[in-house]
Amino acid sequence: MTIIDNAHAGSVSSLGTPRLLAGVDQVGHVDAAHHRALHGDPVLRSRAWLLGAMREVNLLGRGGAAFPVATKLEAMPTGSSTAILVNGSEGEPASRKDRTLMTAVPHLVIDGALVAAHALDTQVITIAIHDPWSYESLVRAARERPDADAISVVRTRDGFVGGEIRAVINGLNAGVARPGGRRHLPHTHGMSGRPTFASNVETFAQIALLTGMGVADYARTGSPVEPGSSLVTLLGDVVRPGVLEVPNGTPLEMLLPGQADAPVLIGGYHGTWTRAAHDLPLTRSSLRAAGAPLGAGVIARPFPGTCVLSEVAAVSRWLAAESTGQCGPCFFGLPALADDMQAFADGTGSEAQAIRRLEQVRGRGACAHPDGAVQFMSSAITTLADDIRVHRLHGACGRPPSAVLPLPRSAR
Amino acid sequence: MTSIAVDWTRCEGHGICARLLHEKISLDEWGFPLIDEPEVEPHLVKAARQAAMACPALALRVE
Repeated sequence: MTIIDNAHAGSVSSLGTPRLLAGVDQVGHVDAAHHRALHGDPVLRSRAWLLGAMREVNLLGRGGAAFPVATKLEAMPTGSSTAILVNGSEGEPASRKDRTLMTAVPHLVIDGALVAAHALDTQVITIAIHDPWSYESLVRAARERPDADAISVVRTRDGFVGGEIRAVINGLNAGVARPGGRRHLPHTHGMSGRPTFASNVETFAQIALLTGMGVADYARTGSPVEPGSSLVTLLGDVVRPGVLEVPNGTPLEMLLPGQADAPVLIGGYHGTWTRAAHDLPLTRSSLRAAGAPLGAGVIARPFPGTCVLSEVAAVSRWLAAESTGQCGPCFFGLPALADDMQAFADGTGSEAQAIRRLEQVRGRGACAHPDGAVQFMSSAITTLADDIRVHRLHGACGRPPSAVLPLPRSAR
Repeated sequence: MTSIAVDWTRCEGHGICARLLHEKISLDEWGFPLIDEPEVEPHLVKAARQAAMACPALALRVE
């Protein structure tokens, strides 16, 4: 279900000096000895030090919501009843950055988990992963080192919604990877009911870099508002398709040379289509302010002369199929909307009907899936308005379908 | 202030809430409740509680 076409995997590289991906250029995978040579032993700090440092570098969660990590950490009680959950369940088919991180630098992820556990005075650490190669990599890395005995690496079910943090927790607790009805947050009701400090794998790798480098060195690259670097997945007509580590604040123009007003998808399949990305700096705050949050770190630009509407319809169909079926508006609404998006590609669509349905689905589910799908589709309708008009006039646009957005094989 | 909310994982679209509390709740094209404004005016609180109790799926909450 989640096998991604290898053609989409692309390269792994960095703009400027790699930090997260240090050592990856030469060997592809950084083992324990190489990791120690590059980073030394994990630098364990107090909760207070960590909170201060996270605030100084404005560390934001890397799973999609970009929540301030210090705020999350501050809400946590300390002690052995507290749990650490490292979420490596990358359910976004367009994103490869978490899998790349886990297979290339698993020890950095483990270091970050140990730093967080030390700060919260606990030893309960779970790393949840669905991708078999990433799982293998973390299991092997944990065995390679003497300080990782307390870490349990577990396989989770795949699926887009299954990667959402509360779904991961429910999956580990009860065997069903679905978000719950009430909006309990992990910091109070997490792993086995424990208060849980949960974040994405890249967040933990960033925490390891932050204590290892110290605030001043960490802030030597990146933007003044968001120091440091980020991992992004670039797809299609971009400077280099694949996973890229970029300093925060890098002008998007550098990642998207030429074609200044072409449609760009930012964030992933819960993300936003826009033609105004070109002039923005790559920071989570500026992209959010522009209405196109970085989300899962995906930036995709279709090639010129291809039909984007047909690809939007294919992704919309997949989004509909990914509903776990527990909330009616999502379960019924997304397939109806996928039909509407297909109708645009066929030249028969009605904007009024689609917009009415989008408004009926938005905000009416237990998790962010319907809202994310609505964001993808509604921004496509706005951004591709000219394409929709051309399709309506001629029944199609005569261009070959765009094929830059990967989907699990069964959905194509 | 009293407000109403739907637990979407429970709601099965019976539609009884929209009959008992039509001032606040309408149904979408698939029969699921649409709530424009979750805050319940004082004179509707009793009707809201009745609608919540009548929900066969226990999906409507008054809090």
